[in-house]
Order: sequence, then C-alpha cells, then structure tokens
Amino acid sequence: MPDTKISTKEAIMLIISIIIAHTIVTLPATLLKNSKSGILVNIVYVSILALLFAFILYRLFKNFQSQDIFDISDYLGGPFLKNLIGIIFIIYFISSSGILLRNFAEGLKVIYFPNTNILFIILSFIITICITNSLSFRSNIKVISIILPFVIVSIFFLFIGNLPSFSFERVLPILGEGFFNTFVVGTGNIIAFSGISCLYIIPPLLKKPEDFKKIALTGIAISALYLILCVSTLLFMFSFFLKVDEILPLYTAASYIEYGSFFQRLDSIFLLIWMLEICCYLTITSKFSSIIFKKITNLKYQKPLTFVFPLLIFSVALLPKTVAISKLLGNILYRFISLSVVFCLGFVILLLANIKKLHYNRKHKEGNQ
Amino acid sequence: MILGDTSLENEEKENNFILKNDKVFSSIDVNLEFIKTKYNTLINSDIVLRDFIINARGKQYKAFILYIDGMINSEILNDFILKPLMLRNKSNLYDNDQTRVISEAVTNNVTVRKVKKFNLPDYLKSCLIPQNSIKEKENFSDLFSGINSGNCALFVDTLPIAFDIEVKGFNQRSVEKPNNEIVIKGPHEAFVENIRTNTSLLRRIVNNEHLIIENIEVGKITKTKCALCYIKDLTNTDLIAEVRFRLNNLQIDSLLSTGQLEQLITDTNDLAVPQTLSTERPDKSASYLLEGRVVVLVNGNPYALILPSVFIDFLKSPDDRNLKPPFANFALAIRFLGTFITLLLPGIYIAITSFHQEFLPTELLFSILASRENVPFPIIVEILIMEISFELIREAGLRVPSPIGPTIGIVGAIIIGQAAVSAGIVSPILIIIVAITGIASFTIPDFSFGFHIRLYRFLFTFLGYIAGSLGIALGIFVYLSMLCDIKSFGIPYMTGVSPLDSSKGHGYFIPQIWKREDRTAFLDPQKMKKQDKISMKWKGE
Repeated sequence: MPDTKISTKEAIMLIISIIIAHTIVTLPATLLKNSKSGILVNIVYVSILALLFAFILYRLFKNFQSQDIFDISDYLGGPFLKNLIGIIFIIYFISSSGILLRNFAEGLKVIYFPNTNILFIILSFIITICITNSLSFRSNIKVISIILPFVIVSIFFLFIGNLPSFSFERVLPILGEGFFNTFVVGTGNIIAFSGISCLYIIPPLLKKPEDFKKIALTGIAISALYLILCVSTLLFMFSFFLKVDEILPLYTAASYIEYGSFFQRLDSIFLLIWMLEICCYLTITSKFSSIIFKKITNLKYQKPLTFVFPLLIFSVALLPKTVAISKLLGNILYRFISLSVVFCLGFVILLLANIKKLHYNRKHKEGNQ
Repeated sequence: MILGDTSLENEEKENNFILKNDKVFSSIDVNLEFIKTKYNTLINSDIVLRDFIINARGKQYKAFILYIDGMINSEILNDFILKPLMLRNKSNLYDNDQTRVISEAVTNNVTVRKVKKFNLPDYLKSCLIPQNSIKEKENFSDLFSGINSGNCALFVDTLPIAFDIEVKGFNQRSVEKPNNEIVIKGPHEAFVENIRTNTSLLRRIVNNEHLIIENIEVGKITKTKCALCYIKDLTNTDLIAEVRFRLNNLQIDSLLSTGQLEQLITDTNDLAVPQTLSTERPDKSASYLLEGRVVVLVNGNPYALILPSVFIDFLKSPDDRNLKPPFANFALAIRFLGTFITLLLPGIYIAITSFHQEFLPTELLFSILASRENVPFPIIVEILIMEISFELIREAGLRVPSPIGPTIGIVGAIIIGQAAVSAGIVSPILIIIVAITGIASFTIPDFSFGFHIRLYRFLFTFLGYIAGSLGIALGIFVYLSMLCDIKSFGIPYMTGVSPLDSSKGHGYFIPQIWKREDRTAFLDPQKMKKQDKISMKWKGE
C-alpha cells in the first residue's frame, strides 16, 4: 500500500484539526456575539446540521468512490469546471489561512511582542510552513496526530481549570435573543464546521475510502464537543458584552486559571500548544492548495510549489492595514467565503453530478433494454 | 635499440597480463612469482612462503604454503598440514595403480569397467590434510581474502587451484562485561572484535537452526567481513532483501566500523538522527532478532547494528524487559522526561526569563533577577558559557585515561560552577538549569541519540532567546515534522508515536508479560504471534 494514503484515524484528526484551528482565534467570540446566551443551544443545533450535511455529502460521494470534488467537477462540466472549482478552493484555503494567521499574529503581538513588527511574526510562521510543506504529506498528517491530542487536552484543562470562575446563570436566557435568532439567523454559525471543506478533497487520499462516513461523522462529532467546551468556557466566564472582544478570547480565559504558589500563570503553555495547532492548520491548507494546483494543472512534481502557497498566505496575511480590518475580515469575509464555497458550491456540484450520473445510468439501462 | 625496446615492451605487457590475471596458474613457479609480486615479499616482513615436496601415491609434487606470521596457529599448521603432507606414511607412499575400478560388467564377452581416475585435489583433501575447514579456490582474490583473515594457502604444482585452509590463531580479546550498556538483571556478556565469536554469541542465545548468518564483504581494499543475521521464518523477506541490497552495493575502499556502516546504509543523514540501533549486547541483539529485525555485525567491531530502528527504540534499555512492567515503565517515563529536559530546558529557561515572566511567581522571579544582578552578560551568553563548559568537561572526561575521567568531572563541575558564580560570570540558578540538563542527558540510553538531542538543545536555546515560546513552538513543529518524514529501511521513524494505531507489539510502555503476544506489527513479520493468548497455562490447573 503506498505510503501517501492516510488512515481513518488520521483523517478524523485532520478534520478536527482544521475545524478547531479557527476556535483558537476569533471564532468563539464571533459565535458568542451572534447568539449571545443561546450559544450552547445554537452550537448543538448547528452541530446536528453539520452532521446532517456530512451525511448528505457521504451519500453524494457514494456514487463517486475515491474521487474528490475536482474529479467530480471534471465529470460534470469538463476541465473548465474542474479548473474553476480548483481555483476557487485554492482561493478559499489561502484566504482563510491568511486571515487566520494575521489575527493570530496580532494576538501574539499584543501579548508578547508589542515592539515587534507584525511582519516578522507572520514571517516566522511562513518560514515554518515553507519547511514543512517541502516534506511529505504523510509527515504533515503524522505531526497533526501527535499535536492534536495536546490541543484537545488543553481545552479540557481550560474548562476544568476555570470551573471555579464559572457563573452558570450566564446561560440564561437559554435561547438568547429568541427562537428566530438562535435557530434561523444562528444557522450561519455552521461556518464553525467549515473544516468540512477537507471532506471534498480527502477521498482519493484515504487508505479505506469505505470509512468516509465514519470519518466525516466522527470528526464533526468530536469537533462539536470541542466547540461546546470552548464556547461554554467563554460563556460561563465572561459577560459577552465585554471580554469576548479580545483578539484571543481563549487566551484571556487561560490567564484566569490559578495554579497555586509555584507557578503564577501557565497561559504561555496554552499559547505554545495553540501555536503548534495553527502551524498544523497552515501546513495542511498550504499542502491542500499544492495538491489541488497539481491536480488541475497536471503537474508531475509538487516540489516547485513548496514556497508558492506559503508566500501567497503571507501576502494575504499582510493585506489588512489594521487590526480592526483583519478582525472584520475574520468575521465577515471568512463567514461569507466559507458558506458560499464549503456549504453551497461544493454541495451544488456534488448534487448536479449525482443527477447527471442518475440520468446517465437510467439512459444506459433503457439502452440495454 | 628498436628491437630491444620491443622486447622490453612485450615483457612488460606479459607481466601486466599475469598481474591482472586472477586465476590460479597450473605452474607453481608462476604462482610463486605472482604472489611474491603481489605481496611485496621482499619488503613485507610478515608474509611467509614455505616450499616443500608433497608425497602422494608415491609421486612427488612441488608445493608451497603462504600465510601471514602472527595470524595463524603454528601448531595447527605444523601438525595438521605440513606433517601429513611432508612425512612419509602408508597413505602417501601407496603406489598402486593411479586409477581405481569402481564396477565391472561383462556383456557379449566384452568387459566394461567403470573406473575412477586418480584426482590429486580430492586425494589431498580427503586423505592427506586432516583439517576441518579446507576449500578449493580458483581465484587469487578469494585466496588473498582468506590469507588476510588468518588462513593459509596451499599451492601444488600442476594444479590450477589452491587450497584455502583455516588455521586462524591470532590473539584476541575474550568476551567481557559490556562497558556502555550496563544492566542490573540480565546477562553480562558483550560482543568482541572477532566476528565469529560474535556470531557464536548470537547463536548460543537464539539457539535455533533458523538463525541465518550471511557473509557479505564490504570495501574494495579491506574486504571487511560483515554478517547479515536474521531468523529465516520470522523476518520480513523484503527487509532482508533491502539490507542485503544496500550492503552489496557499497562502493567504498574500506569499512572500519559499524559507525561508518550505519552512515552508509541509512536513508538519510541530514538531521543527524541515528536511524540504526548500535549495541554491544548479544542478548539485546537476539531479542530484536526474535522480534523480526535484522542484525549486522562487522568484523573488527564489538558492536552490532539493529535494523530498522525507530524513535522509541532509542529510549529503551535492555533491562526494561527484565524488570516488572511498573518498574520498567517508570524508568521509561523518567527517560522520556530526561530527553524532554535535555532538549528543551535551557530554551524554556531563556524563553521564560526573557518573554514570559508571568509564568513564575513574583518572589521567584525577583530571586532570579537578583541572582542575575551581578552578571554582566546577556542571558544567551551566560547559558552558552555554561553549556559549552559542560560539553568540554564531558568530552575531556571521555578522552582522558579512565582513572582520571571521574576526577575531571568532579573537579570541572565544582571549580567551574563555583568559580563562575563567585566571579559573577553566571547566576546560581543557571548552574542548576545546566546541571539538571546535563544529568537528564545521561538518562538517554543510546549514545548517538543522546548526542543528537544535546546538539539540538543549542538550536532550541537559540530559538527561545529569539522569540520565546513562539520560537520554541515553531522549532518543535519543524523538528517533529522532520522526524515524521524520516524512514528507517522503509519504516516511518515515528512509528509507535504517530500514527497511534501502528504501535501494536511495540508501544513505548511495556505491557504485562502475559500481554506480549504480538511481534512488532510495523515490521510485518512472517509470524505475528510470539506467545499463546494464555501463555501461563499452569495457572488454569
């Protein structure tokens, strides 16, 4: 079996890693702002929606064993559609990574490097991705499966460590600003699961393509639990009118934990683990972009692309002129692009391809009769 | 003049042709000249050529033996080669017909006799030389290889072959206690320089006819003997073929140690990560053989290479399997902690004192700052001074004669540590950090891996100084990614660590003895089970 394929467990970890990377930066705050105290109900609701969406994706992919969205686009609309979809997905990965990196770097700058130019903080991540992007896809996946358990444990620890500071009454009113806001407007919070995007790409990379359903559902279920822990930590700790505006709200929550007399604050350890998680995310999006580009251009070698996509991420990260713009992009552009690419475009392509296949099969059957 | 030149050229060409030839000549004089030229016997003092006459079936043949003085056992040579060949006895004086009738049949008054002609090489081997190991060789290169390793060569006139007879008898170190891999509960035998002694040590432990020991020569000049050892019905055949292929395709002049061989056969040497285990313990080698791995021995080296090896192998000690799992696992946890501290503690110290002061309680932070008050250097210089001093002490302790070694360590630690603090060059807290790092580095069982971690410690120190936890996080990420990218003979180096499902039969921590049913899964051995599901049958009775 070729070593480029990933196992079921690794694929689950990959999905979780992509989903939870955004929770480290502004995502929990955005969700909390949208749904207020109804966030817990809302997260459960969007998690169910995400699970349903993943199940539908599984059904739609079932007719195209081991094919990704680009192969399916090729089947549906020829090379033009394949290239178009490929470019859109590359833009999605590059832009979401760039915005995430910028926001995270802004947070680091505020916390540790107030006198350092943001360019150098971003550049240090980009150099790291350039190095890891030159390594094999398998090695990237393996690193994720080493780092991810620490990230998940960190959130558990954050939740348990902050338990004494929780004010559980903040969950009330349980539906926040009402039913409509929680269940209709709040549907947009499904962007928290935009890591589903990798489901469109991984089918040919799986060792066991038949485990696609298990991968999708388990990945989303674990991510949902993770998200619930994140938002409930923030909800129970802070008044959502005040602290959630921080650039790294989870870091703020980490700084409230008390450790007794020997250690004062261990938030730098949390941040160290989350930096590793951000690196995982950037490496994977950069690698996915390379894979997509290689696929749409029929390139034989992927090596020349090692530096291209990290540099594009670097450029996107430097685009916002201020922190406010980068936060705005993180909240609005990311929401828009995730909804349109992951939850609309990919879905529509799959749906149309299935209709075409159904039509073709019916015609073929009639021809045989 | 012209005629003279031509004859000289012809003679030179003839000589060149003879010297380039590798086949043994039928003429004993030509063989003798050839050997004299090849071995430079006029200036080489230890090459011995002893000519004599062989009596065989009443006939006499000119012969000579060639050996290297000091490498053979003279008693064996005299008693079992020269005496039987030179002294007249019933056997070699027998002068009956040279042919022997095997069978006879009469058909139509015609007698058909099946005869066996007299065959001198057979006769010499089977009747005259009572020596256990004797081989016929047609090529000089094969003969020279034997002679150089302590055999003697017998050349007989009229024969286009020579005999390679084993008469080795050089002095060698006896089997002693291991120096570098000491265990509490376990055997105390170590490999020696002689490859045959080492293979016999392995055979005694494995005690099974399926243990295969293949000989492979490496090095165009030294023709160093390497032994490729594996268990035939256990080890993955692809793995054996790969190791054999790599050993057979080394175009080098000389191979002097297992350390050199390790570098020559591993996939990559880029990160300076050791990818093969090197051990002086036959019991450790045997246990890995029984897991389905391949062991390579090199003649002249008291170490064996175990292939393939993965990250977690370098943190395991041969004693782990001899101890009860709670003790062994505790030791394993300590070793992991030791590795972590060795790699990261100086970097973390710098990161905390330079960037993350909030990490420590205010009192402790004040104490650290107060201790650094008189130190004129930035923290990176301070830590580099102490780390390099520690490495100097360690290196000096290794190189000086062994009785003085510990003294240097103690003197160095006390004088440099105490004096440096008194002189205000370094702070006392830093001495503690460096001392803990140094002690932690000694917990790593494998020397090469320990060296690798010590080297990378400087990199993390530097990263911690530049960017605090950001630098360390990015360093860890790149380092882990690179480790995950390495393969040892096709096996991912981080197997057992990631992916998590590949650790079957080879996890970092040791299970109870009755749970050790599987061999290492990632090796894909021919037999996966090494003990029954219920191994302690006596418990049921």
